[in-house]
Parts: sequence; C-alpha cells; structure tokens
Amino acid sequence: MSKPELWVVAERRLDHIEPTTQQLITKAKHLAGNQMHTVAVLFEATTDHLEDELKAYGPDEIRIVKDDRFPTATDAEIADALQQLVTANEPNSILFGATITGRSIAPRLQAKLQTGLTADCLDLRFDDDTLVATKPSYGDNIMCEIICPDHRPQMATVRPNTFVAEPADGAATVTSSTITFHPVDRLQVKTATPVVNTATTVGDASRVVALGRGAASAATISTATKLAEKLGGRIGVSRPLTDQERFTHDDQIGQSGNTIHPELILNFGISGAVQFLVGMQDSQTIVAVNSDPDAPIFDVADYGYVGDATAFMTALLAQFN
Amino acid sequence: MKIVVCIKQVPETNDVTIDPVTHNLDRRGLAGVMNPFDKNAIELALNLKDSRDDVQVALLTMGPDDYAESLREGLAMGADEGYLLSDRAFAGADTLATGYVLAQALKKIGDADLILFGRQAVDADTGQVGPIVAEFLQQPQITYAASLRLSGDNEVTAERLLEDTKQTLVAQLPAVISVRSELNTPRYPTPRNIQLSFAKPLTTWHHDDLDLDDTRLGQAGSPTIVTKVYAPEPVKRELTKLAGTPAEAASQLITALKGRQLI
Amino acid sequence: MPSPTSAAEKLLLQMVDDYTEREISPEDMPMDAAGDFPAGFIQKLTDTGFLGLMLPQEFGGAGFGPEVTAAALNHIARGNASTAVTLEGHFKTIDQILKFGTPALQQELLPSANDRIFAFSMTEASGGSNPMGIGSTATREGDHWVLNGDKIMITNGGLAQVYCVLVKTAPHELSVFVVDQDMPGFSFGKREDFIGLRGTPVGEIVMDHIIVDNDHLLGKVGDGGRIGDSAHDDARILMGAVLTGIMEHDLKIATDYAKERKAGDQPLTALQVTHRKVADIAMRKETTKLLFEKAAQLKANGQPYSEEAAMAKAYGSRVAVAAGDDTLQILAGYGYSREYPVEHLIRDARAMEIAEGTVEKMRSAIATAEFNK
Repeated sequence: MSKPELWVVAERRLDHIEPTTQQLITKAKHLAGNQMHTVAVLFEATTDHLEDELKAYGPDEIRIVKDDRFPTATDAEIADALQQLVTANEPNSILFGATITGRSIAPRLQAKLQTGLTADCLDLRFDDDTLVATKPSYGDNIMCEIICPDHRPQMATVRPNTFVAEPADGAATVTSSTITFHPVDRLQVKTATPVVNTATTVGDASRVVALGRGAASAATISTATKLAEKLGGRIGVSRPLTDQERFTHDDQIGQSGNTIHPELILNFGISGAVQFLVGMQDSQTIVAVNSDPDAPIFDVADYGYVGDATAFMTALLAQFN
Repeated sequence: MKIVVCIKQVPETNDVTIDPVTHNLDRRGLAGVMNPFDKNAIELALNLKDSRDDVQVALLTMGPDDYAESLREGLAMGADEGYLLSDRAFAGADTLATGYVLAQALKKIGDADLILFGRQAVDADTGQVGPIVAEFLQQPQITYAASLRLSGDNEVTAERLLEDTKQTLVAQLPAVISVRSELNTPRYPTPRNIQLSFAKPLTTWHHDDLDLDDTRLGQAGSPTIVTKVYAPEPVKRELTKLAGTPAEAASQLITALKGRQLI
Repeated sequence: MPSPTSAAEKLLLQMVDDYTEREISPEDMPMDAAGDFPAGFIQKLTDTGFLGLMLPQEFGGAGFGPEVTAAALNHIARGNASTAVTLEGHFKTIDQILKFGTPALQQELLPSANDRIFAFSMTEASGGSNPMGIGSTATREGDHWVLNGDKIMITNGGLAQVYCVLVKTAPHELSVFVVDQDMPGFSFGKREDFIGLRGTPVGEIVMDHIIVDNDHLLGKVGDGGRIGDSAHDDARILMGAVLTGIMEHDLKIATDYAKERKAGDQPLTALQVTHRKVADIAMRKETTKLLFEKAAQLKANGQPYSEEAAMAKAYGSRVAVAAGDDTLQILAGYGYSREYPVEHLIRDARAMEIAEGTVEKMRSAIATAEFNK
C-alpha cells in the first residue's frame, strides 16, 4: 500500500532550481486536487536554501534532506537517498523532470524499487489513484498512454516546458528528513562548469531569428544578430538573402536549405513561400512580422504583427535590454 | 580489457501509422536497423580497441532472431563477437524486464570492464535501460558522456553535458557508460568487413541458457502496461494578433513568450 | 534464416544507402558546380573500402557478385551519378584483368585495386571508340614492349593510377597492356571540360616510350578487340544501373515537388498532366532497372549478356534524358534553375548516350545480334 503522496523530485542546476521542477509542482497541484498531498523533495547542502525557489509554487510540503555531499552527488548516490525516503514514506507517485539528470536518476531508482517508470511524458492524469502517463514514441509520431497498475510508487519523467509553472497561494510546510548517505567512491564528479550551447548551423539552433527580403538591410541584420544573441539562438535566412556574402547554405531555411524545428522562430520580413514554409512549419512557436497582412507566413504563425519588421525588431531588442 | 556494447534494433523510420480499425501500430513493411545512437557506443569501443592491443569488444542485444542483423552490422564495423538473447519468454518486456535479462546475460559473459549504451533508442526514446542495468550490476554509471578516455589502468575520465553544465567525472572500472551522439562519428562497415563478419562468432542464448527468475521476464515481469496508442493531433495554430505600435506589440510578444517559458 | 550471401548483400546495400545519404548526396550540387570531386572525397570512398567491392576476397576485396555490384552503383547514383560512374570505370577495368590477366599479373596488380583506381582507355583523337583508328603502338623489343601514343577521354583519366591501354601491336592487330602512372614515360594530358557527370574526371594520358614487361600484356597479342568489347559489356550493365539511379532521383524530386506545390488552388498531384509525366518517368525507370538487372543476372550465371547490357545502356540513356526533361517541366521555373539538381541530372544522363559506345552503335550491335538469331 502507498500513501496518497505525490512527489516532485527537485533538481538543482548549479546554484539554482531547474525550472522543470517548478513546472512539475504546478502540474502536481492540479493533479492532486484534494485527494493527494504534494511534496517537493529537495536534496541540498547544509548551507543551501533552494527551498526559497520552490515556496512560491505552493507545494503542500517541501521535504528537505541536507548533506554537504549532495551538490556533487552522483546518480547512484541520489537514487540511494531517494530509495531510503521512498521506503520510509511510501508515496503513490514520483515525478522527475526529463532532464539529463532526471532521466539518469529515475531509472536507477526504478530498478531499486522494481516498479514502473514512464519516460519523457507530455501529459499526466489520474484515473482514481492510477497515474496515466502520455509518452511520445517514434520521434513524437505516436502517443502512448502507459499505466503501472500493480506497483507503487508510480514514476514518470516529464519533458521540460510541457507545463507552465504558476505561482500559487498557500504556505508550503517545510520539513526535514534524514537518510544515510552512502558514498560511491568509484565515481567522482571532479568539476562542473556552466556552458553555452553554440549551434553551428541553423538546423542545430533551438531559437532562430529568420530574415527575409523585407529585413535585409545591414542595419537590420545587425539588430537581428543582437536579438539572436539575447535569445541564445542563431540567424536563419530565406532564399533571397543567400545572395549576401555573409550567408551560406548553412544559414538557409527551406526546401533547398535546412529543415528546422526549433522551439522558437521569429520571422521578420518573410512572406512565406511554400519552399520556405516546408522547412520551418514544424517549429514549436512561430512568430511572424510582415508588412503584408495577406502574407502566407501568418497562416502558420502563433503570433503575428502586421507592420515594419525593422521597427518591431528594434522595439523588441530594446525591451529585452 | 573487455567491453560489452548493448544495442537495440529499431524500425528504419519513425514514420509509423496507426491502423484506423484496430488502433494498433502499423509496422508492416518496416525493416529493422540498428538504433543509430548505438553506433556511437560501438565506435567508442572500437576507438579504444584501436588504441590498445588487449581490447575485446562484444555486442549484446535482446530481441527476436532478426535482431542478429544489427549484431552482424556491429561485427562488420569491427566488434569481435555478438550475443543475441532471444526467447518467447522475453517478449513484451518493458525497460525493467529488459534491463533484468541484459544484466543476467552480462553476468554470464562476465568480467566486462566497460558496458556501453547509446544515449537512447530512437523508437521508444527512454534511455532507461543503461541505468537499470548499472543498478542491477551495482556499478557506477556515467550517462550522456560527451567524451571518454582511459585515464589509468583501471580508470576512465568522461565529460558529461547536462543541459547547461559540463561535468568531468572519473570512474574506476567496471562502469556503465551511455554516450551522446556528438561523441564521435561512427565508422561505416566496409564491404570486405561485411563479408568477413559472417565468420565471427554470434551466440544465441535462450531462456534456459541464463539464470533467470521467471516472474521478472517479459510482459509478466513488466510493471508498465500500454493502454492506448494513438496518433497525435496535428498542432493547430491559432494566430494571436499583436497590435498597436511596434513597442506595444513587442511588449505583448514578450509577455506571451514568458507565458510559454521561452524567455 | 537468410543465407549469409543474401544477408551480406542486404547489409552492404544498407551501408551504401547510409553512406550515399550522408557522404555523397550532399556533394552532388557542389560537385557539379566545381567540376570535380571535393578534396578528400575519393580518399574517404577508398578508406571505406568501395574500391574493393567486387574484387575477389583473395585479393583483399569484398568479392560481391555482378548483381549486387550493379545494385550498389544504382543506389549510389540516386545521390550522385559521378561517384557511381567513377566506380563503374574502376570495376570494368578490374573485370578485364580478372578475365584476361595471368595469375601472376593478377597477383601483382589486383591487391592494390583496393586503394588505387584503375581505368580502361580506348579512345584516341583520331576517332571515337573505333578500334582500327588507333594510332598508339606497342613494339616488341627483346623480352619487353615499348608503348607510344596519346589516349584521350578516359573515364577517371588523371585520377586513376593504373591504366589498361588499347594499342596496335601490328597494323591490323590490337592488344591491351597495363601501365602504371609511375612508369618512366607516362604523363597526364588535358582534362576534358564536360557538361555532365562533372565530378568524374575524364582526361588524357601520354605514353612516351614506356617500357613494359611481356607479363603486362592482357590476354594474348591480338586480343585487344575482344577485351575492348568485354570492357564495354561490363561497363554498360553498370551504366544501366547508374541511369536507373538518375531516374529514381528525378522521380523523387518530381513527386516531392508535386506533393507540396499548388497550381491555382489545385495541388499538382491532382493534375492529369502531372500524372502522365510522373507515370512516364516511373515506367522508364523500371524498364531500365529490369534491363540492367537481367544483364547482371546473366553475367552472374555465366551466360552471354552483351546484347542485354547494350539495351540497358542505350535504352536507359535515352529515357533518362527524357525523364529529366519531364521532371524539369513539372518543376517549371525551378526545374530550369541551377538551384535545383534537375538540369544537371539531364546533363549527367546525356553523357551516357555517348560514353561506352554511342546509342547509334548500341542499336547496330543489338540489330546485328537479332539478325544473327
């Protein structure tokens, strides 16, 4: 038997909470309703106060385990600590972010507990106390609903940015738990340093600022470059701009260039010829700015602005700064 | 030094459809190929083999008899021997039951210094089997390794890329490693090695060849059940118009992108 | 379980497809523009073992048979015809050394065919593939031969390191010798600037008093005509395979485009005019495929295949040009643009109405074969 507790395992990213944790707390609160108790489980060093980044999202409880070895603990050590907590508390379900860390710790815990784990979920719901997890397969072409009927806890990793984190009312009870830290000396984290992801072609970039004939001046390209830097992305161009010496095939989006599916694409001065659209219409969020209200790019866009591309871009950059 | 690379065979394309009548996955006519990410793990093993005289590379997979084709491809790339775990009793296994049988087979193969996995399979996309095997074998794991080198007689140093953090880890062998695809570019099997691979040993182990607890096998040993399979609705885009001056419109966009946690 | 042979063939074609998609196709357009293989391209092809694809295993090759060798070139040509034609020139030369070379010559030369490209040269400035117009000579001096003359329009000329050359050993006597680029008196002449198959070098070699031992004679003195015909036959099967690949490339471009493009509010796929063109391309492709596969099968079975090989090349080259033209018309302005590969596929196919015997000469050969039945 398990207790009606729904856990979110908080993940740290250097000195902060990884945002997926906050998204999962919001989702967990919706799932739990009045039936379940939502618990954020947090491992931190004795001097850390990462719970301060969780309180605003209103879990019923933040259960903290402190040990100075946690910030550099390895997957097996965390999984071992979690197992001790699970054995002591018997939660109904445990959610992890489907981050690299979450996807590494969760299956080790699964193997210890001999229970079910569903990876990289895009949706979650409860049928009574059974967690129904929706998981994509075959490169997101197929969705599967997966349950774990006879074992507890039920476990899932959830794809980052699937849910939106919302601050919530209600004071979280902060409790502390203890476990025995079992060090695994055979594996040591020697260093951890922040890195910036750099894309070499427009196809590798997760954010793209796309420029077309209507945004081709040197000044506009310079503004667009700054905007792309702010977003941590890269410039891409439609076919007409490949005439410019500074752009190559690596930068071109479309049928005779790169097919891309970034999480965000901002299209400036691009009308949206079919050859361009087939190369980018699977992007997650599409923004279009064009002076022609009938431009086909607006047919595939989530957000559209009819007006001068350069003026909009300049205003956007100014507000970012 | 013995390296075992665990591989999986997957459909050659992810363009699978749902049969509109039975609601089952329609995999007719889809040939199987080696999971592309697993080739990076094989390449890592072969690189280590190229750099030292004493390295033996074995391949291990669990699946129906035609999974031998993927083992054969790995042998043609340069691995020394292949093991196929094939039995009706293994069918329908989820990641836990798969990891159990692989772990039992690894115990039988014995003395593996490094057990390598690709980052995940392109069909199911879980990446879970490597850590499960590591747990069952009580070995340390380095997942999503971006580089790996032998840094001592019995020690590897790896870099691991988290979303925006790079870790350097040092592991005493034996250890389980899963590798990122950026780690290397897998070699092609040459036409000649394709022919010669048919002379390399390929061993099939059935249920009775391994020491197994039957309650942990196949569908019965799998805690998870797939209850529904469906094709996702195409993303419907509804255009939200941004209005006003450029500055006003830009401000609306920033609010919207913050809502989607894109900024 | 499938037989090891068919399992190996399946694995080979899978590797060829993979290699073509990742290493060859991306170079198709740049290669046409540059008029050459990119730097390192042939080295990588060599390092991946393609040169030994049909070379018997005893010489360090893979030893694949005629059918799967043709299929491999067919698959490569789907991505780029020049690469397939360069391999065709190499393979047909190896074939003649296997058929006509002494065991000692084979043992001396063939192991190096895994890393060196071989070429077969017939043509001279005095006239096409007409053997009797040949002016190059080999003169016997003691126990060796002295070779003199110019050979032009050699597939892989300048790239290859070993050449089979057709020369006169007497006024009405043709023979074939094998020469190496490292031999004194050997030099390269000019490279042709052709309109199609622009990756594959086609060039000239000059023989100025090259001395070769008697063991570098292929077959016997006077076998030149027979060996030349045999080289043509082997090349023509592979050209049928390359032409099929070109038409498969056409078909993919035509259907992809038709599925995405609209004429007015109708998709191109709904128009009868598109149906007709696409069906014609598909029928031409499939007919050529059957022809080259038949010829390769006959060759594998040790039966005569000369007529079928001529049909595969003659028919295939004509219809591949027409298939390219239909594809161009479906893409209209884009088809006529050098941004899309269609126009160079036409130029590539056009080469094969000429190379390894003109279409007219093929027809004569086929008709003669029919008269003699």
